[in-house]
Amino acid sequence: MRNYEIMYIVRPNIEEEAQTALIERFNSILTDNGAEIGKVEEKGKKRLAYEINDFRDGYYVIIKFKGDENAINEFDRQAKFSDDIIRHIAVREDDQ
Amino acid sequence: MAARRGRAKRRKVCYFTANGITHIDYKDVDLLRRFISERGKILPRRVTGTSAKYQRKLTVAIKRARQMALLPYVND
Repeated sequence: MRNYEIMYIVRPNIEEEAQTALIERFNSILTDNGAEIGKVEEKGKKRLAYEINDFRDGYYVIIKFKGDENAINEFDRQAKFSDDIIRHIAVREDDQ
Repeated sequence: MAARRGRAKRRKVCYFTANGITHIDYKDVDLLRRFISERGKILPRRVTGTSAKYQRKLTVAIKRARQMALLPYVND
């Protein structure tokens, strides 16, 4: 079990309920794969430094959690599938 | 020194060593912005005076920030 941080960007034109459902769903992907979520931080809508899929801004979400590679891999796989998540990154926090 | 011409050289100090920062966070955009050029390129060590150790970490942090659209790849 290691400490990780995942940051992802949700597309800006999503409905409010769909957005909360999405965040909820991706949190449960982590917990279903044996991760313990420490903190979910919604940074809110921010302007992107460059356009991604023709979007000029995005909704940033940061999750800090404790888990292993299963959780990361599953999250990564699902995030790639999802059209609502336009970017995501997972960073290990221990060796910092 | 006779060999040194022009402006007297100012001793550059590493920002991170001087401020006791041990970990550079890719989310800290305001900090990272000081180390990129107008064009969006990473400034060399000889310009900023960052120590080799922190320049390596800085590079990683800037590249992560670029991936997440926090910093631009190119600015024109």
